[in-house]
Amino acid sequence: MRDLAEKWSVAPDWQSAVIAAPGLVVRAIAGLNQLLVSGDLDAWTRASGLDGNGVGAFGTAQGDRYAARLARDRLLVVSNGPLPVATGWHAEGFAVTAISAGLQVFEVEGSALDAFIARGTTLDPRQASASAALSFAGISAIVYRHQGRLRIHVDRGLAAYLWTWMETAASNITAGSGN
Amino acid sequence: MQLFPCPFCGPRDETEFHYGGDAGNARPDGVDVPIERWADYLYLRTNPKGTAREIWVHMNCGEFFVMERDTVTHKVLSSTALGGEHAA
Repeated sequence: MRDLAEKWSVAPDWQSAVIAAPGLVVRAIAGLNQLLVSGDLDAWTRASGLDGNGVGAFGTAQGDRYAARLARDRLLVVSNGPLPVATGWHAEGFAVTAISAGLQVFEVEGSALDAFIARGTTLDPRQASASAALSFAGISAIVYRHQGRLRIHVDRGLAAYLWTWMETAASNITAGSGN
Repeated sequence: MQLFPCPFCGPRDETEFHYGGDAGNARPDGVDVPIERWADYLYLRTNPKGTAREIWVHMNCGEFFVMERDTVTHKVLSSTALGGEHAA
């Protein structure tokens, strides 16, 4: 029987994986607590005391506990540690779903960050957009800035693909290629 | 490449959107719907030359909306969020 696994590149060890190129460093971020909040976001704010708006595309998130807006009625809440919020439906009108295992997070920094962004999306990073959910490198991603770096959340199943894309992008930026 | 205006996110690349059909083409309801009405709902389209009202969805944020655009010039005239109701 053919081993179709040979067709796919081996996923990197996310604990140590790094892409280093002149003006660009990409790392995988592990250990972040990620929650999806859906429904009445004002009720979420009242119940949790946390931000109910969230940053949009290329917006700047601050601190170790913040939110990125995904849709009119959906947030991604990110924190360094667990939050005192139960998952499941809340009678106030919102639902909380743990998604830490479902989304891989990458962090990108360096002087070539603008060139990196330009290769990933046609969206103008200087123009505000309410939702941080956008198409990046041809896949759905959640993209914003955090402490001067670009953070990208993608479905974990697409993380190896995005890593390969970022390796190629970094290589092309270094070579000054238009590809 | 076109930019379409999502009512929630603002201008986004056209590849982030999915076409959902003519606005106002509501599904017939009831047991006595004649086959001509079903055929009209399923197969007949107005296909206007000029201003068209269409349902679109922004795949990244999930926003359903009505977009009015000119099928000749490709100019977008308006985009309006749907609040769960049928688009007229």
